[in-house]
Amino acid sequence: MTKEMKKTDTDVSKVSKDQAPENKASENKTQVQTMYPATDIHETKEGAMLYIDLPGVSRDALDIDVDQNVLTVKGDINLATPDDLTPTYMDVRAGAFKRQFTLSAELDSNKVDAQLKDGVLKLVIPRSEKHKPRKIEVKAA
Amino acid sequence: MISNMLRFSPSFFEGFDDFFAPEFSAYAPTRHRERALTYPQVNMGVTDKSVEVYLFVPGMDASELDVSLEKNLLSVTAKRVTEESDDSDAIQRQERFSGQFKRVITLPEDVDPSKTEAVYKDGILHISVAKREESQPRKIQVNV
Repeated sequence: MTKEMKKTDTDVSKVSKDQAPENKASENKTQVQTMYPATDIHETKEGAMLYIDLPGVSRDALDIDVDQNVLTVKGDINLATPDDLTPTYMDVRAGAFKRQFTLSAELDSNKVDAQLKDGVLKLVIPRSEKHKPRKIEVKAA
Repeated sequence: MISNMLRFSPSFFEGFDDFFAPEFSAYAPTRHRERALTYPQVNMGVTDKSVEVYLFVPGMDASELDVSLEKNLLSVTAKRVTEESDDSDAIQRQERFSGQFKRVITLPEDVDPSKTEAVYKDGILHISVAKREESQPRKIQVNV
């Protein structure tokens, strides 16, 4: 888990150093058709939890970026099809998933925890400390 | 009470859709709720020797996937359970499929059901069914 956290952290630093890494990459690559992955969003006292369906996306093919308050999740679908395969039916024509989420200022975008298992990405984004609910003790007068 | 006051503002995950002009609102990712009509989605193809079927079923346990092949009728049945929350108010968005599903796929008639392999990886169920020997292309030697 800590490993994944670090991965997100490095991505954040990368974004701040290199202003538009995404645009540079897309200039060299031919445009891949993307689709929006189905997502469940739960909110708790601790923060937000996102469950994103990314079937066919392995850890290496997954890219999570946080730029300011915009969280971007991208993943290439790899079906490992045989070379001589002739498609006969296709529900999924896109080669990748991509979706962006705008995070509220209440969330700490520097501490995104990501776990990918069986094509489902779970993101946990904690509330920043000052936005966490606090219990206020009432002192006896 | 305090917890209500501290709920996320409505703008929590909104705003992104604003990048889309109204005439393109149908493409705004968080505005439209309609999902794919069928679940799971399927891609299929053929090679000289086999029929390859890919089902997009993320978040499953391989043992929960019930795959059967009768003649050339392939059916996949399972129940998908998505993560729940103790507090139903906590669910802000629910787009992922949840519940029982069954998908029946008619394969070409020249498949050999006895030669079937199924692998579940990264949320993709890949089923490979061999074609019968006699329907596979073969090289014919020309004698002089």
